[in-house]
Amino acid sequence: MYSYPSNMVLSILPGRIVSLRAERLLVELVYSLMDSEFAAEDRQKTNASLAAEREDVRLSRQGDSDAYTRLIKQHQSHVSRMLWRFSRDRLVHEELIQDVFVEAYLSLGTYREKAPFGHWLSRIATRIGYRYWKQIARRGETESFSLAEWDELPGKSPDEMDPGQAADLLHRLLAQLRPRDRLVLTLRYLEGCDVAETARRTGWTKSLVKIQSLRARKRLEKLFAQAGKELRR
Amino acid sequence: MKNENLFEALTARARSETPPSVDVAGRVIARLNAEQNRIERMAEKPLLWLAAASSAFAVPAVIVAIMVYNASTGPLYEISQAIAWVAQ
Repeated sequence: MYSYPSNMVLSILPGRIVSLRAERLLVELVYSLMDSEFAAEDRQKTNASLAAEREDVRLSRQGDSDAYTRLIKQHQSHVSRMLWRFSRDRLVHEELIQDVFVEAYLSLGTYREKAPFGHWLSRIATRIGYRYWKQIARRGETESFSLAEWDELPGKSPDEMDPGQAADLLHRLLAQLRPRDRLVLTLRYLEGCDVAETARRTGWTKSLVKIQSLRARKRLEKLFAQAGKELRR
Repeated sequence: MKNENLFEALTARARSETPPSVDVAGRVIARLNAEQNRIERMAEKPLLWLAAASSAFAVPAVIVAIMVYNASTGPLYEISQAIAWVAQ
């Protein structure tokens, strides 16, 4: 809801007395018209970029490495952001990003262009990240973590914490769970995905995502209970 | 604050983290080229073995064929056939 000074509205309708509510409605109407123009421009830009992306995908399928380089450059920051949740080791993280783009290139034939390329990449990135977690779980390379670390959190509230510090703490905490639980919690809470988006990325059904989320939350609570610690504020 | 609330507050905070910037384009293309070469080499290998086996079979077959041809069409063959008939 926009709130503008009444003189601004009076300048639009000189000499007329209109109620405050009517003024606001009128201003909102004017601004919504302006917004719709901007939105139309944005849509045009989006359509143009989608068309360019499709063209790059088509050229990449024909073996054009320049086109694929453009696709990588366009999407690597998004993939990097996703995979930083899966590994906080810079070398591993970069290796995983490369794996995503190599696997995507080799599977380009299966990309049906029903969804944007970035969405398709996010599915591959999730699969590769999950596979990496399963590998380290099989090798028993769980990162060390003590719940006492929670108690050593700075006295300030989490909102004042450094985001990197918060992410690192959560990363090590979730590493104590099974890869399946870890995946669903990471997607739902860290990535902020809803049930449908989590289902799309994992390839699970929505019901399975709901059940898995519930189980994962219970296991997380159990983890806290086992340590016998109720966290301080 | 309960564990649950703290967990959610931390996840909300962690979401605003900026990941390290990366540029993997060059390395990905290099890996794809290497992969392409490997696939081509793998594809060529059976063909190489097939070609070698075909050659190994074809060379003796050609030699035998030449020998048989010479033996069956030479003038000596007709004489030897006639002698064999008389001898019977």
